[in-house]
Amino acid sequence: MKISRREWLRLAAAFGAAPLWGQQAGNVESAPLFIEIPASQSGISWVHDNAMSAEHYLPETLGPGCAFLDFDNDGWMDIFLVNSGPSDFWKPAKPVRNALYKNNRDGTFTDVTEKAGVSGAAFGMGVAVGDYDNDGWPDIFVTAYGRGTLYRNNHDGTFTDVTEKAGVATPGWTTSSVWFDYDNDGRLDLFVCSFVDYSGEHKFECGDNKIGKKYYCIPRVFRPTASFLYHNNGDGTFTEVSKGTDIAKALGKGLGVVATDINNDGRMDLFVANDTVQNFLFVNRGPGTNGRWKWEEIALQAGVGFSESGQARSGMGVDATDLKSSGWQDLFVANVDHEMFSVYQNNQDETFRDVAQANDVAQATRLLSGWGLKYFDYDNDGAVDLILANGHPDDMIDGYSMQVKYKEPLLLFHQGDNHRLHNVSGQAGPAFQKFFPARGLAVGDFDNDGAMDVLIGNNGGSPLLLKNEAAQGKNWLGLKLEGVQSNRDGVGAKIIWTAGGRNRQRLKNNGGSYLSSHDPREVLGIGSAPKIDELEIHWPAPSKRVDKITNLPINRYVHVVEGKGILS
Amino acid sequence: MWRAFFLLVLTLDATAQSPQELVNDAIAKQRAGDLEGAVKEYREFLKEHPEATPIRSNFGAALAGLGQFQEAITEYKIALKQSPSAPGLRLNLALAYYKTGRIGDATDELVKVHKESPSNSQATLLLADCYLRMGQNKDVIRVLRPEHQKHPDDMAIVYLLGTALIRDHQVSEGQVLVDQILRNGESAEAHLMLGTSKMEAADFAGARPELAKAVALNPNLPGVHVLYGQALQVTSGPEEATKEFKSELAIDPYNYVANLQIGATLRQEQKFDEAKPYLERALETRPGDLAVRYQLAAIALSEGKADEARRELESIVKESPGFAEAHVSLSIAYFRLKRPVDGNREKSIVERLTAEAQAKQPGVKAQ
Repeated sequence: MKISRREWLRLAAAFGAAPLWGQQAGNVESAPLFIEIPASQSGISWVHDNAMSAEHYLPETLGPGCAFLDFDNDGWMDIFLVNSGPSDFWKPAKPVRNALYKNNRDGTFTDVTEKAGVSGAAFGMGVAVGDYDNDGWPDIFVTAYGRGTLYRNNHDGTFTDVTEKAGVATPGWTTSSVWFDYDNDGRLDLFVCSFVDYSGEHKFECGDNKIGKKYYCIPRVFRPTASFLYHNNGDGTFTEVSKGTDIAKALGKGLGVVATDINNDGRMDLFVANDTVQNFLFVNRGPGTNGRWKWEEIALQAGVGFSESGQARSGMGVDATDLKSSGWQDLFVANVDHEMFSVYQNNQDETFRDVAQANDVAQATRLLSGWGLKYFDYDNDGAVDLILANGHPDDMIDGYSMQVKYKEPLLLFHQGDNHRLHNVSGQAGPAFQKFFPARGLAVGDFDNDGAMDVLIGNNGGSPLLLKNEAAQGKNWLGLKLEGVQSNRDGVGAKIIWTAGGRNRQRLKNNGGSYLSSHDPREVLGIGSAPKIDELEIHWPAPSKRVDKITNLPINRYVHVVEGKGILS
Repeated sequence: MWRAFFLLVLTLDATAQSPQELVNDAIAKQRAGDLEGAVKEYREFLKEHPEATPIRSNFGAALAGLGQFQEAITEYKIALKQSPSAPGLRLNLALAYYKTGRIGDATDELVKVHKESPSNSQATLLLADCYLRMGQNKDVIRVLRPEHQKHPDDMAIVYLLGTALIRDHQVSEGQVLVDQILRNGESAEAHLMLGTSKMEAADFAGARPELAKAVALNPNLPGVHVLYGQALQVTSGPEEATKEFKSELAIDPYNYVANLQIGATLRQEQKFDEAKPYLERALETRPGDLAVRYQLAAIALSEGKADEARRELESIVKESPGFAEAHVSLSIAYFRLKRPVDGNREKSIVERLTAEAQAKQPGVKAQ
């Protein structure tokens, strides 16, 4: 007798037994949790050009980033993909460009890049989407080796490059970036990770590897750099304000960043993953006495700067979430093979404890190198789960490692009733049995079914689009937040909801993953509960308003406006 | 090896029939392998004649034969105090130390034996082995080079010297000795040395099959499981490596590397109670070893014993100011003890050490 996954879950619940995620595959024939949507079906034919050369210039191996965004405000998630481009070490023989795909609302996409004017002209790395001018239309910041670009949304399907005018022409090699309102003035500011100093007419080469070929240098050999913090002046311009702060003093090799509030003081902090040097945790201490904003870098004493053995690792992807709905933000960082990834549990005193071993994460990631990742509730049961995109940066690693491979599998973890993350990749579907040179990862609900789908940028390859089938039968409510006094995207808002007798909460963090930007909407999974009894939105400063909403609809998206409740 | 030292010539000037009979009987029992009976009678005799150094030495040997090394050490030390120049006594003490994993103490005694009797090849080989276990490769080379000139075909010398040369990065000279062993046909020793050579060159994947072969040919070869385990640690992971380290410990419970590696792996897996006995045994083998002490301090820190960790870490960074990981942990310990000034001082040291290391990178110089 064959039992579908859904039937199995129902039967298990009827007998009072929690589903045994780790043992499921052997017992029943389960439907895949995620289905790969091929380019022939989606229409996404764009391919990343990593510019791979015999010389092996390091920027070749770091991209690409990707994003879900609704650039035309039609309520359907579109897709943005970052590509390489001309640089001081590469002159493309044929045009290379980014891609903006418009969602046709039927599972297919149309390439509108040229019309939108977002092709790019630099060696692109990552993307951060945010409504920095509070006009209700998402804008795009693209990082790069070389000149990054700020694209302002013109509300008509086109964008304008306002980089110079806005004052965000960031030098060097930038990677992940994040929009957030650090000073709670109701406008999104911008933090931009800087990687290594890769300047110089002649790029440093690390010689030949064991199979006699040039290889990608480990970033340890390059000089670290300081990241950038741009304050939004509210007039379309920005001012770089890191000077004199710990952000400028902390020389790192930033690859990933997430904006969150680790101490519940209402100010957004920054967790930055660095490659081969310690990570940074910039705690936002508010206005300083010297007229500058006070940032305190506390990663070491917080226990998130180094490994448990006191060693700096190769941090790449990051994220933050309230894993156990404790009211405190936990952190995550992915590293390279043999370093293991860390699940940092918040001790509620500005320190953290790595609990990766207690979860399945440490062992599952021992031989992997992690980049894009996201804490999200993929099955809408109300508990936060985790997806990891992996791939080794050295394209020749297969030649001299017996176990570490260049292309690596995706990993999916489900949070069980014991609050532990269990590796369910074996049951997640055929895509999780394949191997990818994955880098960026974004989650977003491209078909508006309430189940967050996944987009992955592959280095030198086609992007991977995964449709989420795991949330079928679960109830949910999707929120598009619109701040009025607070920043329009509602970054920093706290969402508290009650359903089926359980209280849950979520902080609207921003950034995270690697080089990528997620669907800005929040989907609240409530499992088998028939409705959400009460919803509270705690808007960030400057309003600090609390909106309490009842009589909520179910299984649809609603537009919640600060102070006005549900608009549609 | 022990048998050579079991029976020293009895020169007791007996004054009474009864004690003489007791001693004769004890010696007979020891020769016959009845060590418990011998121990009982030696103990009885020594109550009446504690000054009888040779009998105490025999008593120590019988105790050692029973595996009661700590008690044997006590007896040897008393005997040495009574008769510092008694032949073989110091070597027996060194062997007892060696068997209990106190390689440092064994080395101290063997240095004295080697100085007094440089022609004692057994003591010389044992001393070289102790140096090798403690990672003092240059001392192995210093001690064994003259021996190798005198006995160029002694495979034990060739093996120990070759291993030390390779570990000391004197690969080409070491390779000559590897070739010498290879000429004698395929052997575990040869594969072990080839594996060691590849490990030194960071060719872990290449070392793995050599070491696997060495294990297959002679699983009792000292150190073979440790090296194979180290190769597996890099190419496979801790599970397979730990199996090998445990195999080594089945042969040699005091192997420093095996104990340290298992302890470190268990610590990383946050199995602190399981890790501690391994690390403590590694510390017995190499008293004061910084790597082991750091692991134990890191466990204390993880267990919330910040002050205990602080004390050990302060001691470690005093001995090794460039030990960046220890400064990281010490900084964390100070912050947990609400000593931010000290915590920040250590943090500054970490930043300085990081910057210094960074400045030495070749890519930085090229820019």
